[in-house]
Amino acid sequence: MSYVLQLLNGGAGNLAAYLAAHVLLCLLPAFFIAGAMAALIPKASITRWLGRTRPHYVSYPAAAAAGSLLAVCSCTIVPLFAGIYRKGAGIGPAITFLFFAPAGNIMALAYTGSILGADFAVARFLLCLLFGIGIGLLMALLFWRDDASHDAQTDALFADKASISPAAVGVLLSLVALLIAGTLKLWPLTATVTAVDLPLPWAEAWQATLVRWVPFDAAKGEEGVSVQGSLLIVLLVLIGLAAYKGIENIIEGANRWTWTALGLAATTLLVAALRLTPQAGGLEVAFTGRVFAVGVALWAVGHYARRLDSADWQSWLWESWRFVKQIFLLLVVGVFVVGVIRQLIQPEWIQALAGRNSVPANAVAVAFGVFMYFPTLVEVPVARMFLDLGMHPGPLLAYLMADPELSLQSILMIAAVIGRPKTFAYVGLVAVFSIIAGLLYGAWVDGVGFGWLALSMAAFIVVLAGALAWLHGRQHNAIQPS
Amino acid sequence: MLTIKILGSGCANCKKLEAVAREAAASAGLEAEFVKVTDMKAIMAFDLLATPGLVINEKLVSSGRIPTQAEVRTWLAA
Repeated sequence: MSYVLQLLNGGAGNLAAYLAAHVLLCLLPAFFIAGAMAALIPKASITRWLGRTRPHYVSYPAAAAAGSLLAVCSCTIVPLFAGIYRKGAGIGPAITFLFFAPAGNIMALAYTGSILGADFAVARFLLCLLFGIGIGLLMALLFWRDDASHDAQTDALFADKASISPAAVGVLLSLVALLIAGTLKLWPLTATVTAVDLPLPWAEAWQATLVRWVPFDAAKGEEGVSVQGSLLIVLLVLIGLAAYKGIENIIEGANRWTWTALGLAATTLLVAALRLTPQAGGLEVAFTGRVFAVGVALWAVGHYARRLDSADWQSWLWESWRFVKQIFLLLVVGVFVVGVIRQLIQPEWIQALAGRNSVPANAVAVAFGVFMYFPTLVEVPVARMFLDLGMHPGPLLAYLMADPELSLQSILMIAAVIGRPKTFAYVGLVAVFSIIAGLLYGAWVDGVGFGWLALSMAAFIVVLAGALAWLHGRQHNAIQPS
Repeated sequence: MLTIKILGSGCANCKKLEAVAREAAASAGLEAEFVKVTDMKAIMAFDLLATPGLVINEKLVSSGRIPTQAEVRTWLAA
């Protein structure tokens, strides 16, 4: 019985840490950014670069941009992937899009940065971009015949032109500013500008109660619930209730609850930016530089949002709310389960399997990523768990590259669109590239010099280019049979 | 008799679109048969790059977004 309690406590502790101020300051703006991208960026503004007639140096970067900006959810990923493959730029850009979308979108980047650290987010972004384009080019060369047979199709789907309105650009940029103001751990954002002591005698007792409810071991990297955390949890529940009444039917117009929900969301961000410290006989409220930065960014968001058409901001709110409904609940459950499982795994197992940056360790991490299926973004808390248990950052990055790209479910879906041989080639390439990415990043973390890394990267590219040239030669011979 | 197809894998937007379309048809006093298309191959038979898609009598009228009831009514009348 006490063992079960310990497991449940592990889950609750993980969830509490997840709802802490620094994660909210990242996730809340990220949901609004994802919604704004889905609603305010016309798809045609990017898809028009993905037509059949576009040169490669346009279509591959455009495919990566589409993955990053348009594809936050699977409702867009599959049709857009099939569309690019069958009626647009072909298999190469379609694969680049498919590979880059789960790692390059704003939710994944912001969340990776806030849970695992900025260096992981940057490494994930750059390596996925580079390898996404590499895998796309390889697939295009391997299956060049296939693209040739698609040339008879029309290009009409990609002919539409559209541009983003200035107000929408303003909204997106101020939301990104809000995200940065909330998450950067830099002076002057972290400096205390002024502090006020509130005479709240129960604050200290409440903190003691919270610690009793959710005991934690700081030495194991666990975080408990603070007074601020409990306040934020209450605010989140209130936002949820208000949003359910105010945003569920936003397409037909806003009501009082809509404004309540938005006001609460802004309040939550400001409260999360404060620093609350319970003291004897009161609560010290410190106004950090972050509070003012978040305030200014919120004002800017409001300023530009007022210039949007009502249809635009309504669909923006709807898309943001939809992401919350789709992702947030699964994340909450996922984070809880990860906390429970963490109590069951012995650190020695992880250290023995993937404690060092070796080829087998990276391969094990990739295999785990392929056979485990986690809902969107749950791979990030799972990765945090492995990191805390002593996994080397190299294999961890290999896992982060492979898990969202490849799961049995997504492999079946891809096979339905492009057929089995191409799917097997894709899966193989992703596995190899993920292992290489893990080895490179792990070597970087272990302090291997930049020169050596650049050299091995160059050697890899030379081998790749050699293979490509050989394939190209074969194709040439196939076209002109001697 | 109209045939209205909702294209999408069953995500939140597809359900929302179906609700909007049903209310629009009801308020216009039209009888319509609703068909949910969830099979990816059948969806890709139409020219669209994002779900949900709305098809009225085999013609794709919107994709990648949720139209308002008023919009759907004008398409139904056309």
